[in-house]
Amino acid sequence: MTTGTSTTTTFSYSHTVGFLAYRGRGFIHPIALTLGDDGVMFVLNRGGPESIGRLEHKRVCVCTVDEGYIGEWGTGGTEDGQFWWPSDIARAADGRIFVTDEALQRVNIFDSDGDFIRHWGDPGDAPGQLNRPAAITVAPDGSLLISDGLNHRVQRFTTEGEYLDGWGEFGAQSGQFNTPWGLTCDSGGNVFVADWRNDRVQAFTPSGRFIGQWGVSGDGKGQLHRPASVAVDHEGFVYVADWGNERVQIFDPDGEVAGILAGDATVSTWAADYLAANPDESAAREVANLAPSVNPWRDHHREASARIESRFWGPTSVSVDNESRIYVVDSCRHRVQIYRKNS
Amino acid sequence: MTMTQDTQPGTNTLVLSDPETARIAHLLRRSGFGATRSEIQRAVERGYEATVEELLHPELQPDLEIEDLIRRYHVDQNSLMLLESSQGYWLYRIINTRRPLEEKMALFWHGLFATAYGKLNHAKAVVNQTHTFRRNGLGKFADILLELSRDPAMIFWLDNKDNHRDAPNENYGRELLELFSMGIGNYTEDDVKAAARSFTGWTIENTEYMSIRASRDSFWPYGRIDWQFRYRDDDHDDTEKTFLGHTGDFDGQEIIDIIIQQPATAHYIAGKLYGFFVSDRPDEEAIGTLADEFTRTQGDIRAVMRSMFMSDFFSDRSARLARVKSPAELVGGTARLAGSHRSPEWTIVNLAMDVNFMGQEILNPPTVEGWHTGMEWIDTGNLVERINAAGAEMRDTSRPGVRSVIDRVKSAGDVLDPAQLARACLDAVGMLEVSEATLNSLVALATPWGEVRFDRSDTVSCAEQRVTEMLQLIVASREYQLA
Repeated sequence: MTTGTSTTTTFSYSHTVGFLAYRGRGFIHPIALTLGDDGVMFVLNRGGPESIGRLEHKRVCVCTVDEGYIGEWGTGGTEDGQFWWPSDIARAADGRIFVTDEALQRVNIFDSDGDFIRHWGDPGDAPGQLNRPAAITVAPDGSLLISDGLNHRVQRFTTEGEYLDGWGEFGAQSGQFNTPWGLTCDSGGNVFVADWRNDRVQAFTPSGRFIGQWGVSGDGKGQLHRPASVAVDHEGFVYVADWGNERVQIFDPDGEVAGILAGDATVSTWAADYLAANPDESAAREVANLAPSVNPWRDHHREASARIESRFWGPTSVSVDNESRIYVVDSCRHRVQIYRKNS
Repeated sequence: MTMTQDTQPGTNTLVLSDPETARIAHLLRRSGFGATRSEIQRAVERGYEATVEELLHPELQPDLEIEDLIRRYHVDQNSLMLLESSQGYWLYRIINTRRPLEEKMALFWHGLFATAYGKLNHAKAVVNQTHTFRRNGLGKFADILLELSRDPAMIFWLDNKDNHRDAPNENYGRELLELFSMGIGNYTEDDVKAAARSFTGWTIENTEYMSIRASRDSFWPYGRIDWQFRYRDDDHDDTEKTFLGHTGDFDGQEIIDIIIQQPATAHYIAGKLYGFFVSDRPDEEAIGTLADEFTRTQGDIRAVMRSMFMSDFFSDRSARLARVKSPAELVGGTARLAGSHRSPEWTIVNLAMDVNFMGQEILNPPTVEGWHTGMEWIDTGNLVERINAAGAEMRDTSRPGVRSVIDRVKSAGDVLDPAQLARACLDAVGMLEVSEATLNSLVALATPWGEVRFDRSDTVSCAEQRVTEMLQLIVASREYQLA
């Protein structure tokens, strides 16, 4: 479903990448992605629960936006380069890849092939320490910004982990946070933070001065419920993964809602291969009504998403590229839905 | 701290507090998952009857306040695709709920209407069923049965999706009478057939596709799809039936209405409630009292529970510590006491595994009869698991609940001899009734430690360590394993 209020800009569904797979070609509870060159996607799989046999599900799957499978790297564990609660992934201009881990309170660094380089990060609440580092992004000046979830702040580090500065504290006033999750920068270095438990997105100058905010609590147009991720494109459109409302809302540069995406997933190439190999299941699927009218009893957005396969269910991450593609990580459906912005 | 001592006539049980406090502690064990000493004290200040009313109206308390955090940090508990994830989710609810009776009722109905992941391969469907128990568990029994009959997990579990107008499947109709409402011996085979025919056409959306997926445990391509009830009029047998002496073109709802009127139903449900909340040993007179209330109120479960909690047989000291805690009660209650998992921690899956290892796979009961309870929870292996798991929870002094217990013990005095330490610890964990033998054992085990001193900086750490050691002994005691 795509709606738009702008007369010049619309957003349309393109296709779906992904398929549920514990290992190899596919995703299991993906939580974030970062983009490489030439349409490459590094999709971070959180997996879970954290029982021994399932740790290997935690990994980075490398593929392309046109559904080419390249490979995977990483695994679950507490050793160097392993993940426990991997939360976000970012790629620097030199190709190095940074992965935050909310359980191990650290940032892992990998080279472009996924070989572990080192990690940094200490648990705690002092400046430079971390308590459930949620999201990470590379600022235009090359520094790293991290939303420090349970310390309710944003911190900036060098890529080597040297603390530079930070702002924020627990609260609901401007410049305060409640369990911030996603964050991003625009080309000018302004910082946008998904202030998750305050149901809003806040914007700051590169030095951390409050600029403005989007959203109030609710599920109406322009309202937010536990926003997980935010992205900004080169025209100043702001994309918010409205996790609690199971949708993506797009705000134009004036702060008006320009579009609402609820999920339109189709059968990916990888999924099609599975169905082709299971013709009886495929035949039953062909005649099934996969978009039934729903009468859920509570938490209706989530329950509707659980019943209607095409919809977003737990959108944890939204990204945009310079070719007007929008990437939505659909965590409970183990896929990425791709949209296009049409100007 | 007020500490009196009273020996129950005919037993060697000691009451370490005033009798009303001990009675309220008993109520909070049975209606929920135990209580901290401060929770007991607050209930004492409210009074027994007011506490009962508060328990009976969970809707007046906030729902789970960390639900969003759970789903945020445990992505797998957002989708609830896997059994372990779903078990962990339920444990979070048990540990953090401010509506303990709501959660206890969900466990009760889950045990009675036992529906297992093992056949469904759809954990969230079973979780959704437990949500109906939370919503209606204290409501009218007719509503509970109606929702149960429309519940997709139940429809799948007992094959009502295969119950067609021209080819009835009797599985649900039979268990509805035998296990869910009346008990065997109170109906005929013809009644079973009539009930089954009345529920024809009660199925789920996309039956064929969902059946194939379930049969091969397929979650491809994009995870589980929630099941949804669907009534198919074209598959419903609307011809005349005779059921328990009534004749008409009944559908399922009318069958339920007839079931509710049966004295056997009142007695059966009263007996099940008695066994879960009062005692492992049936008492026909007490069960009769509950059955009368069921009949009088036309199956109002809240009224029956009120009658139970306010009865003499519930509070009677012979009923105290007369039930073996189920594994979920033991693990969840101990975590509540220790203050662990008040916010999401990845180790929740370990707690879920503990419950499994003790013989209770919640959301995956062994058969449609549920679990065999009472002393069957205890065997040599399970007892070791129970003691080890409870002890592990109480070992960590950084846990806020353990910290509170230590602080309360400290308030008993700067210097405690072994007997004082044992009593102070029992009081601090709300264990206000113990046998003389248990108390003597605790004191004997603490005697080599000598006095514990909180008044000197060089001994505080050791004293706190002794408290946690005493707590580990207490949770290993016979009384702690009982409710």
